[in-house]
Amino acid sequence: MKKAYRFPSELRYSKEHEWVKVLEDGTALIGISDYAQDQLHELVYVELPQVGREVSQMEAIGTVESVKAVSDVYSPISGTILEVNNELQNSPELINQDPYGKGWIAKIKPKNLEAELRGLMDSESYKKYIEKL
Amino acid sequence: MSLRRTHLYEYHREHGKIIEFAGFEMPVWYEGVIPEHQAVRNSVGLFDVTHMGRSLVEGRGAEEFLDHMLTGDVSSLEPMKGLYSVMCNERGGIVDDLITYRLAEDRFLLVYNASNREKDLRWLERHSRGFDVSIRDVSDEVAMFSLQGPRAEETFKKLCGEEVSALERFQISNFRIQGLEAMAARTGYTGEDGFEIFILDTPLGDPWKAVRAWEALLGAGEEFGIKPCGLGARDSLRLEAGLCLYGNDIDEDTNPFEARLRWVVKLKKGRDFIGKEALMRIAEEGVRRTRVGIALEEKGIPRRGYEIWNQEVIGTVTSGGYSPTLDRGIAMGYVPPEYSKLETPVRIKIRDRLLRGKIVKFHPFYDESRYGWRRDKG
Repeated sequence: MKKAYRFPSELRYSKEHEWVKVLEDGTALIGISDYAQDQLHELVYVELPQVGREVSQMEAIGTVESVKAVSDVYSPISGTILEVNNELQNSPELINQDPYGKGWIAKIKPKNLEAELRGLMDSESYKKYIEKL
Repeated sequence: MSLRRTHLYEYHREHGKIIEFAGFEMPVWYEGVIPEHQAVRNSVGLFDVTHMGRSLVEGRGAEEFLDHMLTGDVSSLEPMKGLYSVMCNERGGIVDDLITYRLAEDRFLLVYNASNREKDLRWLERHSRGFDVSIRDVSDEVAMFSLQGPRAEETFKKLCGEEVSALERFQISNFRIQGLEAMAARTGYTGEDGFEIFILDTPLGDPWKAVRAWEALLGAGEEFGIKPCGLGARDSLRLEAGLCLYGNDIDEDTNPFEARLRWVVKLKKGRDFIGKEALMRIAEEGVRRTRVGIALEEKGIPRRGYEIWNQEVIGTVTSGGYSPTLDRGIAMGYVPPEYSKLETPVRIKIRDRLLRGKIVKFHPFYDESRYGWRRDKG
């Protein structure tokens, strides 16, 4: 079963399959990619980070669990957790249904955004990266 | 060693997600574990279980031989009936759990775990010396499907007629599925009513009979919303039913008493069997640990290998996961008998947290008046 994954071009992606979306007010949303949610399939549990926590880039900040697998979620950028998506506690399947929208995981106040974004992939490079996995 | 495939591999590859299991390329799911799980609990689902081991044991000494190998009482097994039991080693550890069907006075069909196919055959053959018996592995000549769920009977009836309803639990009979020679036994690994169906004379190299029967079963179940089901749902269903998975919950270092399988051990049967001495000693001395079921009261998913805590570590989870029927994390594991009482509070360590749970009735975990083959009808 080959799937056509969606990788919006306005996002940046990490090698661990997280995405980051910079908002107009300078904060950023993070989540896991369409590829990641499809690989995990049927999420049944999400462990979210504490609001206020300082995180560095690629630090594990939470966990997503599907029926068959557990996977860490890494923060694709450094900063402070401003908000988490509490909807996921009762509806982890939002990540499967809408990984870039209702399935967002946390909102971060970035610390070193520009430099860190350069280390992440754009949608084209991420797509190529996925094809080689 | 290259991976093995069943007759239905092309179907699985086209419709499902393939994983490696016990040396086979098998579907873990088609649509998803949860919808497939729910199809079986609420209506009907179909599994390809051709990867399981199947052997014929025949000869004048077959009954005596199997009584020597199994903890169950084979001499009192009636023709065309099946018996769930275990084979033990000399220490009383479980070599495998299996179902033995008596097809005729001197002819038995053994159905055992995929992961133990080679081991079981070697074990049986090694101990067959001195018995008038022949053992023939028919795994690659007989396809095997499992049709499970409260609508399994109605589905199977559409293909094989009224006599399907007369089949009792653990009874096996001959049927024809669209003219194809088959056998079906009323049993399964989901807790639900259902049938394990054997499509005879269907070699792996010439799979058309298996494919035709598979499609006929899916067609018959269509009006009930039948779903093909993968290994993921098979695992979550058997976990909810409290059934052991060999290699997880039972193994050669686990005896049937601690595994709560005392009911399959017939110490008083007429013949001696491998492991009897050790099991008699264990029965006398008691067990140091016992299999229990745990339901979490907090959100989280227990998995194999996680620690079970009371004031300190008291045991290990051997199988765990998300229960779609109960919408919570459930687990089986082993703890000292003093912690096995129902409602005993325990915790399961999930990463750096100790999540609250308690010991619950686990065979099955679900309410038997609402789910499973004993459910209230109507």
